[in-house]
Amino acid sequence: MTFITYKMTKSLTLTAAALGLFLLAGCAANKPTKTATATSKPAVWPLTFKDPATTESGAQIWAENCMRCHELRSPSQYTPAQWGIIVQYMRLRAGLTGTQAKKVLAFLQSASAH
Amino acid sequence: MTHKRGVLLSMAAALAIMPVAAAWADPAAGGADYKKLEQKYQVLQKQMATMAKQMSAMQKQQAALKAQQAKTSPTNTKAIDREVKRLYRRVVKASQKISELEPGNIQVLIAGDVNFQFQNMQGSHSTFYADSSPMIQVRIDKKIFINTAFDFYTQAGEAGGSAADIGAANINYELNNYMTLGGGLVTSPIGGIVGVYNPAPWNRWLVDGSLEDALLPANELGVWTRGGIPAPDSMGYLTYFLFVSDGPALARTTDQNGATYNNLQFGNWDPAAQNGKTIGGRFSYLPIPNVEIGYSFEWARPSADGAITTTNSLINAVDFNSYYVNKKIDGLFRFRGGWTWDQVGQGIDSTGTFSLGGMSNGGQLEVAYQPSLCGIKYLDRVMAAFRYDRIDGPASSNFSNGAAHEQRYSIGLDYWLHSNAVLKFEYQFDNLSNNRHGNNAMFLQFAVGI
Repeated sequence: MTFITYKMTKSLTLTAAALGLFLLAGCAANKPTKTATATSKPAVWPLTFKDPATTESGAQIWAENCMRCHELRSPSQYTPAQWGIIVQYMRLRAGLTGTQAKKVLAFLQSASAH
Repeated sequence: MTHKRGVLLSMAAALAIMPVAAAWADPAAGGADYKKLEQKYQVLQKQMATMAKQMSAMQKQQAALKAQQAKTSPTNTKAIDREVKRLYRRVVKASQKISELEPGNIQVLIAGDVNFQFQNMQGSHSTFYADSSPMIQVRIDKKIFINTAFDFYTQAGEAGGSAADIGAANINYELNNYMTLGGGLVTSPIGGIVGVYNPAPWNRWLVDGSLEDALLPANELGVWTRGGIPAPDSMGYLTYFLFVSDGPALARTTDQNGATYNNLQFGNWDPAAQNGKTIGGRFSYLPIPNVEIGYSFEWARPSADGAITTTNSLINAVDFNSYYVNKKIDGLFRFRGGWTWDQVGQGIDSTGTFSLGGMSNGGQLEVAYQPSLCGIKYLDRVMAAFRYDRIDGPASSNFSNGAAHEQRYSIGLDYWLHSNAVLKFEYQFDNLSNNRHGNNAMFLQFAVGI
């Protein structure tokens, strides 16, 4: 039982460390930085954070992210207003950034209206 | 351009005076005529000189203008850009305010899914089962979103009867581009496969749930933050979901040897059966959009009927999810997997310190292939799926149907009528430890997502 307790303590410590690192990364992502430019260079400090939505189209974000969990729903299945609600919900489920969600919504509403 | 224009004018002037010059050079032209021609020539020459001066002045003026423009243009352009952006922001804000004032700006959508199935399991009577899970989604504005989900189901046979349950009741607020805050009842992200990738029956490749599900909470009742951020230096994408919620209780049973066994029990949220709250979450990393790797954890201090006061429990889970679409394989290939291990520490009750059973493990591997790009009618809608799943309880436990270990092999064949409507067939081969017979089963299901 001592062994289990030790393992749990170790696991918790590792979890807390990972969480701390993650939160630090999240804080850094929110800060506007002059070095936030498109680059594929190896990681060099300070790290840069670039929202994929700045380079990807709404259709691309839609296809790549929605397909990960389910079949792609045709844009014509819902009205532009309904897509507004669905994308707001799916942003939560898929962990999309606000910018990505806006681009996906613009694409779906445009495709739905036509 | 200006230089060419000057050359052309000079040539035109030269052509104009050529006949005059020719006449002047001809001695046979006569004296009076010669004087007239000479006068005319001189006038034209003066005019040409004047034009040349004007041209030269114009060229100098143009060069000066160009130089001035080169000096001032970037500044002017930036200033104009700034002004345009400022005006654009004002227009966007104004249009948002107008749309918020527009009647009917609160939008409601009824979504969800419906399914019915037939199952025939060894050792049980065959039964039909029907389930309707409507979701009411409300968009208050661009930041506030409400989701409520119900679950109504009915089944014949030994486990027959009808029941209603609530699957979600939550309010979410979009704090910024990367973070949303929420509270209420929400699908648990622990384990990934259950809570993130395929929560609805129409979205699952196989009918029956995985054995791993027994180790994982279905919902969390509490508060949370979730979202996604780009990974550093464009090296992928990260998602997170962190929560504080009411945690699991302990279900205590005694096995055939008289040994006490406890396991985590989710979803009763009985305050008397809890000691403190649960802290948990899930992080995932997507190196490319079609590959996701996740880790989740949930730490709690559960108790059984409030009698145990010093127990810790920790659930860990890893998961991955991927897909590949390519003409080379004529379609879509999907691959998912997950492994969960939970640990329950020692407890103290009125009888003193005792063991609560240690550790449980469970996991699954799922693959599916659909020749969606083969170009053959009907065949492109067929999906073949396979899953291996298992669960391992503590050695002394009656964890699964009286056995400490259970593993299954499931094969499935789905026919997609629509992107959100699917007919499924599944056959399950079940193996149990402790010399017990597994219960093989057959399932048929029709599921539709709304």
